[in-house]
Amino acid sequence: MSLRARFPRSVAGGVALALALGLAACGGGGGSAGGAAEFHVLVYGDAANKVEKEIVATFNKTSDVKAVLDTVPGADYQQKLQTIINTPQAPDVFFNWGGGSIQPFVKAGLLLPLDELGPDAAGLETKFLPSVFDTAAVDGKAYGVPMRGTQPVLLFHHRKVLADAGVQPPRTWDELLAAVKKLKAEGITPIALGGGDQWPTLMWFEYLYDRIAGPELLKKALAGDKSVWESADSRKALSMLKQLVDAGAFGTNYDSVKFTDGGSPALLASGKAAFELMGSWEFSTQQDANPDFATKDLGYSAFPTVAGGKGDPAAVVGNTNNFYSVLKKTKHAEHIAKFLKLMYSDDFVKAQLAIGNLPTTTNTEKFLASADNAEYLKYQFDMVDRAPSFQLSWDQAYLQTNATPLHQAVQQFFNGQTDADGFIKAMQSLSTS
Amino acid sequence: MVTLAAPAKSDRRRPPPPGTGPADRAVARPGLGWALPATLFFALFAIVPLLLVAVLSFASWGGIGAPEFVGLDNWVTLLHDPVMIKSLWLSVLLTALGVVTQTPLSILLGVWAAGPQRNRAVLSAIFFVPLLLSATAVSVLWRALLDPNFGVPAQARWLFGDGNLLGSRTGAIAVLVLVGTWQFTPLHTLIYQGATRAIPEVLYQAAAIDGAGTVRQFFHITLPQLRNSVITSVILMVVGGLTTFDTVLILTQGGPGTETTISAFYMYQKAFKSFDFGAGAAIALLLVIVATMISLIVVRLSGYDRMASPKEGL
Amino acid sequence: MTGAYARRHRPAPRRHRPNYLAALGALLWLCLVALPLYVMLGASLRTRPDYSTGGPLSFPEHLTLANYVRDFSSGFGRYFLNTMIVTTSVVVIVLVLVPPLAFSIVRGRGPATGRVFRLFLLGLAVPAQAVIVPMFYVISTAGLYDNLLGVILPTAAFCLPVCALILTGTMRDITDELFEAMAIDGATTRRVFFQLVLPLSRGGVATIVVFSSLQAWNGFLFPLVLTQSEETKVLTLGLYNFQTQYGIDIPALLAAVVLSALPVLLVYLFARRALVQGLMGVGGK
Repeated sequence: MSLRARFPRSVAGGVALALALGLAACGGGGGSAGGAAEFHVLVYGDAANKVEKEIVATFNKTSDVKAVLDTVPGADYQQKLQTIINTPQAPDVFFNWGGGSIQPFVKAGLLLPLDELGPDAAGLETKFLPSVFDTAAVDGKAYGVPMRGTQPVLLFHHRKVLADAGVQPPRTWDELLAAVKKLKAEGITPIALGGGDQWPTLMWFEYLYDRIAGPELLKKALAGDKSVWESADSRKALSMLKQLVDAGAFGTNYDSVKFTDGGSPALLASGKAAFELMGSWEFSTQQDANPDFATKDLGYSAFPTVAGGKGDPAAVVGNTNNFYSVLKKTKHAEHIAKFLKLMYSDDFVKAQLAIGNLPTTTNTEKFLASADNAEYLKYQFDMVDRAPSFQLSWDQAYLQTNATPLHQAVQQFFNGQTDADGFIKAMQSLSTS
Repeated sequence: MVTLAAPAKSDRRRPPPPGTGPADRAVARPGLGWALPATLFFALFAIVPLLLVAVLSFASWGGIGAPEFVGLDNWVTLLHDPVMIKSLWLSVLLTALGVVTQTPLSILLGVWAAGPQRNRAVLSAIFFVPLLLSATAVSVLWRALLDPNFGVPAQARWLFGDGNLLGSRTGAIAVLVLVGTWQFTPLHTLIYQGATRAIPEVLYQAAAIDGAGTVRQFFHITLPQLRNSVITSVILMVVGGLTTFDTVLILTQGGPGTETTISAFYMYQKAFKSFDFGAGAAIALLLVIVATMISLIVVRLSGYDRMASPKEGL
Repeated sequence: MTGAYARRHRPAPRRHRPNYLAALGALLWLCLVALPLYVMLGASLRTRPDYSTGGPLSFPEHLTLANYVRDFSSGFGRYFLNTMIVTTSVVVIVLVLVPPLAFSIVRGRGPATGRVFRLFLLGLAVPAQAVIVPMFYVISTAGLYDNLLGVILPTAAFCLPVCALILTGTMRDITDELFEAMAIDGATTRRVFFQLVLPLSRGGVATIVVFSSLQAWNGFLFPLVLTQSEETKVLTLGLYNFQTQYGIDIPALLAAVVLSALPVLLVYLFARRALVQGLMGVGGK
């Protein structure tokens, strides 16, 4: 047996190696535990981290207490945050979406209201657009500082496809229905929809409900009044959505298409579809994936108005911004206050604009003219600035525990698995406290 | 080398049970001490967390604050939850479909690859690659491939219609089975390839003398001889099938609606989307119980857990 | 590989007629396997506009390495090193723990060994996702949070059940005669293990090495929850930098996938011979 006797040595060697590696790992990874003169900032890890890194570097130049930026791969950010938030491993400052995403943490007494951060944080609220700043308030107290860009939802379109079909960007719901009919006759999918992601479908509900019933309906629903879902306004919105779906506005295979993997943006860019209702990031997505289309043919307009609707036609739906919130357990509140002040510095605004984000500070406006895509940014800024209300996406306004049933209800209503009554029942079963 | 021992033994009569034969007494047997380090290590990092999961399944906990003991609440809610019942059924369905698709395919491929030709070796190497990719990568690839407007369905409208594969129940289940097959067939193919190699040549020679053709040889010699491999392979498929969730997460997100919400994915949704860790823990425990029961049944039926060589049973 | 192997050990090979039907089936399967791989490689070598306009199936207009360069510039070296450390350590732990375990299960006497085997069968059915929250508490209580060791230990633990199943399968094939022969020589248990069992289970050992290194290399969940800082980031976490909140850059993602799979692929090509023989032991036949 020629193959014997090799193993004892290799096993012994292996043990030695394991010990060595173990020790090396212990030596290498222990850095973050000490933390006497630093605070940790946990952010959603993605392409926008560039600015966050720059700001942290700027801060660390002048501060003796250093900020340490930890990034968590995006899709799993929430899972990670929830696991560590109430443990000694929790960060000092963390990224969030305002609204329902921080409400449980506030209720559990984990977060520090901004007005308790010390004198440096005084007057923070005057530096940001109020409709945005307010989305991170819980029970009247502010808990978050806007730290990226605002993302209103717009109705994007393919200019050439519309022109060829003789269609104008619709100003009213009836014009939209007429456009759908015309485009369909031309063999074009009227509206691209990434139904596989589920949240793009939700945007249609958010805008239509806002146009028909105004922002009060959701405000009441979030406060625990479940009867609003049975109201005449609610039923009207649902029947109009049904009408749109049944008219073939989205084609038939929208649930197999996703926005996140580039499916629905490609539909729009290739001219196979004419419209897409999407957050303002559609623009940068198209610039990266289809630069020719983005410069030549990508048009945008506000969501159509609905005749007889109670909602203000200037009202906006979308993601107000992302926020930094501070944990109560932090030992460096006054340094963090100084750090948060950087979120409305001129450098911050310029850096955000440079990567295509639209900050929501009051000093943003003076930098808009010199930014890339100035026209597009100005359009959005004015839209948000003038909006009487800015409805946060439902899946972020509600407690995050509701995201799955909410998305399912929306998808099932669109594909016909449930009817209006089923949808209403699903919305009523969401928890609000 | 391991496999070479088999031919000589396969037609042997059953030896006396261990511990009774005269030779057996003299053979050095390892004590429990040999299993101790691995068992302790495993207990600390897998069984202890699992026990904590069991405790958690009797509590209500949202991740923040202290878990609150609620008795059997989670379990009662689950047993009355239509989505839960449906998800268990779906898990079993997907696992069964996986076993039914992958087993014949990997047996055929394995037997084919066991042949000595060099081209088979090269092809086998290519066949192996899917196993090396992470589930995330596999799912992203297949989504791109199956995109109704730009992928394969757009090129073959006669077959796929509007290409709404992931938007319909049947389509989504078919895609999940297909992707699972693509990813895991290589592993099972290798198992069968090795086992086929170990089948004694004399059996085939005898059959050839009797005038049996390739097909008859396959059914009368190859298949029966692969029995033990089928058992191992099926255990791995069952356990793997019941615990898959990342392909579901990326390919279908459990949709359309809840049509592909299998139990493992439902557990993930409950725990990490709804932050209901108690319910998540209960589903996890239920899955562990079901999967263990199935593998124990398979093991018991096959005699795989007996002390000595499984070939004794033949 | 297999050709040489088969020739060497088969004095009287069966007469092999070319089997056209089987070849056709294998070719069909080849298409099914190769198509997604083509999409992956093709996309990773294209610019995002090219991919978006052409779709996944079209042939790339211009080939570019830009996606790979971008991945490399996002801290690839550090992540690569961390992944190497994790993978090597996991493999070493598995190598140290599993062979004695399997030996004890296969050759040990009494009901206890059966129970040990059933314990590991139970472990086979535990999805890592299910225990991640308690795992976080175990690891942070042990003071191993944000430390590579805290990733290594649970990853290794979750490799044990499958590895034990594979290796016991292989060890069962060692015939009683060989053990008896060693008993006649008066060999101790230790000697039996090192001189008979280990050498004869080489194939199975190779298999568990490949299996555990694949697990460690592609591991995502444990590093995600159990580490935090840049210094402890592994490849699977680090290469997701081109994802945004609302979209993925597919060519860059697939380039990252190719990059992270490449080392494993190379190891596979070199170790294939041992591996294929190893996996062949899994069937227990």
